[in-house]
Amino acid sequence: MTIRTVVNGRPVTEPIPVRWTLAEFVRDRLGLTGTKLSCGMQVCGVCTVLVDGRPVSACSYLAVDVDGCEVTTIEGLADAGSLHPIQAAFVDHFALQCGFCTPGFIMMAKSLLDENPRPTRKDVVDYLDGNICRCTGYQPIIDAIVDASERMTP
Amino acid sequence: MSVLPPFELHRPTSIEEVVELISWDDLPYVGGTELLLAMRAGLLNPRSLIDLKGVAEITGVRAHNGAVRIGAAVTHQQAATTEVISEKLPELPPVLLHVGNPRVRWSGTLAGNLCFAEPKSDVIPFLIALDATVTLVSADGSREMSVREFIIGPYFTARTEHELLAWIDIPVVPGRRGTYLKYQVMERPTVGVAAVRLDEGDSTITRVVVGAAGEVPVVHDVDHAHPDRSAVATAVVDALEPIDDLTGSSDYKRHVTAVYVERALEKLERM
Repeated sequence: MTIRTVVNGRPVTEPIPVRWTLAEFVRDRLGLTGTKLSCGMQVCGVCTVLVDGRPVSACSYLAVDVDGCEVTTIEGLADAGSLHPIQAAFVDHFALQCGFCTPGFIMMAKSLLDENPRPTRKDVVDYLDGNICRCTGYQPIIDAIVDASERMTP
Repeated sequence: MSVLPPFELHRPTSIEEVVELISWDDLPYVGGTELLLAMRAGLLNPRSLIDLKGVAEITGVRAHNGAVRIGAAVTHQQAATTEVISEKLPELPPVLLHVGNPRVRWSGTLAGNLCFAEPKSDVIPFLIALDATVTLVSADGSREMSVREFIIGPYFTARTEHELLAWIDIPVVPGRRGTYLKYQVMERPTVGVAAVRLDEGDSTITRVVVGAAGEVPVVHDVDHAHPDRSAVATAVVDALEPIDDLTGSSDYKRHVTAVYVERALEKLERM
């Protein structure tokens, strides 16, 4: 089946097998390997991408369901080589150790801040309930997101 | 190498088209929140998937005949933020906004949750407590039944092969109060307790529905507005058939259930 979508601002028309997940489409077809895969069951959050601004687990979402939609992956955040404020805040707060979960956390943070530009610390914790970091870096991640919200809406 | 087995895709635009297609081998989906995981695990290998998102009759929420009617394609997030629900069923959004995580809430539906009949569903006990019904449509007609009757066992419902769960009706009862509390340390709750108080003629009923701890929800009605919390907790735990699993042993679940029944009733008293 041929899908028409816009990925990180770029129109994409691609024939794909209907059985493909969104993760297979962005990673294997488009080469956007910033989206990671881990649990494969919507529990860990590393594969989070935005579809029409809404967060989805690319591992468990059919690629055909982005037909007619806009997709944003982690590669779509930086603007002409300069980091998005959320990315910059993650760097400044050392909000990562191994970095594998980071794209998912940043995409969830993007979704949260789009919906709620000045979340409380508790809002951040609640929203990230479905994201797992196994290097135990949650506090710096929360700090980074709160800081990013202040940078983005001073 | 693809993670999902091959299947065909249908994109119908009417219930009539869906019920022509639907079978145990041709499964409806919206987000695929539960279905794709089952396919990936090799538990289901359908010939085709039927995308319900293009069926306009079941994509919305509306007031209908003293109830709120939630179409099969309505996601948890959509329902939780729909005006008619905030207005007429204010007790529902807080429950829906604690289902799974934001990604699950954006793609998963209430109807899908019911059809999957996961014993750890948050939605099922609360919908039972609210006396919700489902309407099953087939090419031969339609039938309505309570959610309580619909959920037969773990992953097992009253839906037959050629039926579509088209919508859920939740009666709007003025003055009804309801709450849902769950205890959860991992992805799924150890126990979820729905507590609802409603006036029925001259009397007031307090209803407690316990999910997650056992295979099917336990429903306990008390003919009193302010029942003795400890007595209710004891009666509910007596009726409970908890199973040992990753969220706790059966003894542990009995203990946590008693605590959460009392807390839910205490919260209800303040509402």
